[in-house]
Amino acid sequence: MSHADAAPGPDEGRLAARLGGEIRGLFGRSLHIRTIDTGSCAVCESEIRLLLAPHYDLHRLGLFFTPAPRHADLLMVTGPVVRVMESALEKTYAAMPEPKLVVAVGACPLGGVFDEDEIVRGRLDRVLPVDVFIPGCPPSPLALLQGLLLAVGRLGEKVIALNLIAREETAR
Amino acid sequence: MTAPLLWTAGIAWMVAAGLGLGASRRIFLWAAGAVSAVGGAACLVGGVRLALGGHAITAVLGVGDIVGRLDLRAAPLAGAFLVLLGLVTLAIGCYALRYHEPERGTAVYLCAYNLAALASLAVLVAGDVTTFLVAWESMTLVCSLLILRHWRRAGVRTGAFLFLALGEVGFAMVVAAFLILATHAHSLDLTVIAARAQSISTGWRSTAFVLALIGFGFKAGLAPMHIWLPAAHPVAPADGSAFLSGLVIKLGVYGVMLFAFVLLGHGPLWWGLLTMALGAFSALIGILYAVVERDWKRFLAYSSVENVGIIMTAIGASMTFSYYRQEVLGAFLLLVALYHVVNHGTYKTLLFLEAGVVEHASGTRDLDRLGGLVHHMRASSVISLVGTLGIAALPPLNGFVSEWMLFEGLFQGFRVHSHVVGVLMLIAAAVIGLTAGLAVLAFARAFGIGFLGMPRSAEAAKATEAGQPILGPGLLAVACVALGVGAPAVLIALDHVVRGVTGVQLRPVLLVSNLTVIPGHTNFSGFSPTYLAVFLVAVSVVPIAIYAASRPRGATHRGPVWDGGLMSYRARMQYTATTFSNPVRVTFQRLYRPDIHIDRASDDPAGSSGPVHYRTKVQPVFEKYLYRPVERFVQGLARLLQPIQSGDVNRYLLYILVVVIVAYLVYAW
Amino acid sequence: MALWFFRGLARQVVTTRYPATLDPWASALPTPPSFVPAGLTFALVELLVDCCPSGALWRENRDLAIDIGACTTCGRCQRVAPDAVVASGVFELAATAPAHLVKRIPIRGGEG
Repeated sequence: MSHADAAPGPDEGRLAARLGGEIRGLFGRSLHIRTIDTGSCAVCESEIRLLLAPHYDLHRLGLFFTPAPRHADLLMVTGPVVRVMESALEKTYAAMPEPKLVVAVGACPLGGVFDEDEIVRGRLDRVLPVDVFIPGCPPSPLALLQGLLLAVGRLGEKVIALNLIAREETAR
Repeated sequence: MTAPLLWTAGIAWMVAAGLGLGASRRIFLWAAGAVSAVGGAACLVGGVRLALGGHAITAVLGVGDIVGRLDLRAAPLAGAFLVLLGLVTLAIGCYALRYHEPERGTAVYLCAYNLAALASLAVLVAGDVTTFLVAWESMTLVCSLLILRHWRRAGVRTGAFLFLALGEVGFAMVVAAFLILATHAHSLDLTVIAARAQSISTGWRSTAFVLALIGFGFKAGLAPMHIWLPAAHPVAPADGSAFLSGLVIKLGVYGVMLFAFVLLGHGPLWWGLLTMALGAFSALIGILYAVVERDWKRFLAYSSVENVGIIMTAIGASMTFSYYRQEVLGAFLLLVALYHVVNHGTYKTLLFLEAGVVEHASGTRDLDRLGGLVHHMRASSVISLVGTLGIAALPPLNGFVSEWMLFEGLFQGFRVHSHVVGVLMLIAAAVIGLTAGLAVLAFARAFGIGFLGMPRSAEAAKATEAGQPILGPGLLAVACVALGVGAPAVLIALDHVVRGVTGVQLRPVLLVSNLTVIPGHTNFSGFSPTYLAVFLVAVSVVPIAIYAASRPRGATHRGPVWDGGLMSYRARMQYTATTFSNPVRVTFQRLYRPDIHIDRASDDPAGSSGPVHYRTKVQPVFEKYLYRPVERFVQGLARLLQPIQSGDVNRYLLYILVVVIVAYLVYAW
Repeated sequence: MALWFFRGLARQVVTTRYPATLDPWASALPTPPSFVPAGLTFALVELLVDCCPSGALWRENRDLAIDIGACTTCGRCQRVAPDAVVASGVFELAATAPAHLVKRIPIRGGEG
């Protein structure tokens, strides 16, 4: 893995900086999502599909899926961005009208599973400007919901405060 | 004031014909076109005045009793057709200026065209049988010169031959019809024949009517006498086709109207029913063949067949209503027929002129090779769109008003005191309804495939509007809109004409508060074309205002068409004209009996080993089953009689001897 | 359909109340690891770095760095060092920048 990409960069708070307080007004109650699979194992797609099931019910939050990028506000990308899908991915992104958001779903587009080589690009933010990253392999529907609601400004970002330290013990 | 205007038109066209002869120089070409247009304007104004005036104007043009004299009589019925003639020649005059190249063929062509306009004028203002027939025949002959402009090209001579041959057959029948009437009325004057009509026996009048219907039907393009239209229109130059389709076939309609409403008086029921049946049949056949046609001009020619059918249906229904003493509805349907004559002349001329522009710009008439013209030919696309909306009968344009009124007239068939006839009228209305639906499909196909989308060939991609005529077709587009939105004014004028022909005053029953149309009787329905147009404009203001108010404040971003993310989207992946009309071709395949050939490089169903060729050809049903047998019969008969012309001088001397003896015997007794 | 609806009402499970409240079984979801700093030694850290199949763990000077985005929650790091690695139980991990997903845990266990 190329850890240099994981180092903190100038992308701090990109989402908030780009749209300011308008996100919630624009997308908060009604958002159309276009999913695109750039070579995933389709388990992330299963979890995404589960969002429409009665238990998670995406529609009650005002979020909808649409196949037409012209109608979409948010692009949900799974898979490690294989190179043969790159032009389709870019065309889909270009066909979406502003303002638009990009969400990377799963460990694949976050650089977790595949390194960059002649078949895959590896990380999504090498191809598109990404607004929200949702880790998990696959991320459960609840994690997806949290990520989507974060993207539309209805939930706060919790991972900044996370420290992954189980318990502090004094050194023996 | 009317008579001088019509004289001006006639003289202008004669002058233009003379100027046209010098059209190998550009200055003469322009002069001929301009003078022709002036003549058209004069005819237009004269026709309007004549229609509104309500009474006939007579004149005699003679060179003494020995050489002959032409009795001219401009009746109100001719007024509507004179308006059309003026409008068409005005537009074509403006168009011809820029469309033609100055060369020798153009000189003959322009001279012929202006003589054709003059002959048409003479047909419309003919006062007696001889004038009419002379004018009619000269018009046919001169129009065949129009078709023969590019006589070296493929198909031109066939087209001109069919036009001439069928024109002559029709002419023979028309001569017979006129002579029957003239003999029994003991006069060649049309007014006298009309006055004495009732005194002629019904049998003779029926014979004359059938001969006139079929004879004029040949010129009008009524099915099954229509086969010259798809042969002649594609090969004539655009303004020639426009003149043929816009005006000449209306002269056939004029002939039928002359016989049905003026010369023959009241007749039996079957006259109207026969006309209605032929009209409905022609309408359906015309549009069915139009929908599957790839050549743009042939498509427009078949559409003319369809519209003539609609006009004939209106005429037939009018005659049927008059038979049952429903005078108001009879007059109303005659008005509808006249209105549709003017409307169809306007938008069909426009469409043919635009087809000429497109053919000039891209070099092809094939719809499957065109496309994407809207990007570089803005004005022509807009003008064509107006014409297409008009002919597809969409509100608020003129085609909608006349077809709607036709339906309203036919639906009132229940007022006739005969269930059978009422049902027949409903069947006719249903057939016209099917025709109207197919017409929308056909013209959506023609405009959509021809103008919109991406260009399907290199020639279409290069087509531009530079140097193309816009004024002529533009005038007609304005006329289309004016005839639709200003329908009340047009109806007032046509009401004067109808009153002159049938004596029925429609105006108090037709128009309420001068902007609403009531078809015949007040207890049926009514609508207002003007208010409809205003309403459509007003209603479209709301979405436009919403759009303007909610436009994003940021810059607009233009992106490529969304093609599903495919690697490459090629123009060849679009619909073609053949595929667009495939559902109709499959549904009506019993009629079309298409020849289908599919050539594959191999049996591989994915076609990955080579291209697949698909060819489909529609059977010419009328040629095969109607005309060829007649032709074979006539040729068989001629072969039987061939021995008479043996070439042997002795036998010819024998013939002379026999004839002299027989003549002597006859005169002796 | 009706059966599902009424059964759901009876068991009080119809639609999730998230984000208002968490579902009771959310605690059983697979989650990235948490570490005990005192239990981490440099030797153990090398083992952990080797065992991670997606390269989510690496050593930065005196810290163990983890990229939560690269973690596939396979659980191998916990099997290798069950005393030093526990499941974090946190699944609400969405981030607006890749840097937010990189966490550093001090290695306090010594050289061992």
